[in-house]
Amino acid sequence: MNKDLRVTLFTLLALGICIMLQSTLLGKIAIRGVRPDLALIVLVFASLRKGSMVGQWSGFASGFLEDLMNVSPLGFHSLLKTVIGYLYGVFSGNVFVDPFLMPMVLVVVATLLKGVLAGIVSAIFGIAASGFITFTGRIWIEVAYNGVLAPFLFALLNLFKIFKQADKEGA
Amino acid sequence: MPGVFEGFFAKRRKGVTLALLIAVSLLCLLLSNRTVVIRPKEVGLSVVGFFQKGFTGFFRWFGDTAGSIRQLSAARDELAVARERLQDMDRVTREIVELRRQNASLLEQLGFAQTLPPGRIAARVIARDTDNLFSTITINKGSRRGVRAGMPVVAWQGDMEGLVGKVVLVGGGSAQVLPLYDPQCLVSARLDRSRHEGLVAGQGKDRATIVMRYVRKTAAALVEYGDLVVTAGLGGLYPKGINIGRIREINAPAYESSLELSVEPIIDFDRLEDVFLIDAQPETAEGLK
Repeated sequence: MNKDLRVTLFTLLALGICIMLQSTLLGKIAIRGVRPDLALIVLVFASLRKGSMVGQWSGFASGFLEDLMNVSPLGFHSLLKTVIGYLYGVFSGNVFVDPFLMPMVLVVVATLLKGVLAGIVSAIFGIAASGFITFTGRIWIEVAYNGVLAPFLFALLNLFKIFKQADKEGA
Repeated sequence: MPGVFEGFFAKRRKGVTLALLIAVSLLCLLLSNRTVVIRPKEVGLSVVGFFQKGFTGFFRWFGDTAGSIRQLSAARDELAVARERLQDMDRVTREIVELRRQNASLLEQLGFAQTLPPGRIAARVIARDTDNLFSTITINKGSRRGVRAGMPVVAWQGDMEGLVGKVVLVGGGSAQVLPLYDPQCLVSARLDRSRHEGLVAGQGKDRATIVMRYVRKTAAALVEYGDLVVTAGLGGLYPKGINIGRIREINAPAYESSLELSVEPIIDFDRLEDVFLIDAQPETAEGLK
């Protein structure tokens, strides 16, 4: 099987589990109704490690799954996650990721980017996303939540051999 | 010529893929946002709902097993208390039966046709929204159990029944509910005591507060902190008299011609587990029993 496809499928499996957890179990640890976006952290990790091809496909498929599970219009999350997966994949192999600080910074930026993109898409398509499109307090809770969890999730994902291969995708 | 195309795509593989995926997403957005495409979401919801049920069931099984052992000892004590309460309830039930009889008689005298209470479909919350952008509650009953889009959803908490929201998307074995705190969920409401009407809408970011607008300013003297807000029954979607919440703040902006009331919902959405869907056509629910 093609190496990219294998990694994409594995990433998708991890993203699927994260999304299921987010919609069920993670509600119990939500702070003011805000839950961490584990799928975003996994997407950032996979894109940085495996490049923009894996990143954008994984982002698209996981976003599509989220669209099916939310009242959001079909295509909303898939668009956001495709762009995020692609952008982080561009930096694949060019960013030194230490065990603690960089995962936090990268995931915090990804969460803010998601907020900005959601705001733009919502404004263009007239979607009433009730979340943090206006940068109210909720986004900062998610930013902090994702930032704190990022080093741990990065460390966990580092244990998987499939992500360890340091093959830099052809630019 | 084919060689030129192959060369072009080989060099720009990532860019072409990105453009393709974005185009597919935008196409989906355009179509589903205009509610042209409904089927893919419904089919997808049915598939995803199956897995969500599995996840919820798996974790609930662990929680229930541990909880049931703990509850066993507590159940003994509660049994004694329950017996005492049962005696009280017996007395209350007899009074209710008598009051109902009197009420029926009075309604008949007034010439009102007494309507039957609408049918209910019990459902369980199996999942919430996957992220913090949208407000979604997924329940374990779908079109196979008679659930239809637009059905009002209520729940009991404490000793009060309160409005949860309405069904917006129905799959075979699950459905999605738009909760009351979502800004898209608009409910025609009425102040239970003063009978003034208004429109209740969520604020999205805050589940604990919804807003009632378009209440005439002349009502300011009659509105009090803690007043109950109920559904007005206008528009035909929500039956009349379902509890929505209690007034927590009264604002009368000078630039507005109406009051803006902050309302605390009866339902604590973080504790929501079981809900009832109100079937406006009771025969559907009857047929499913």
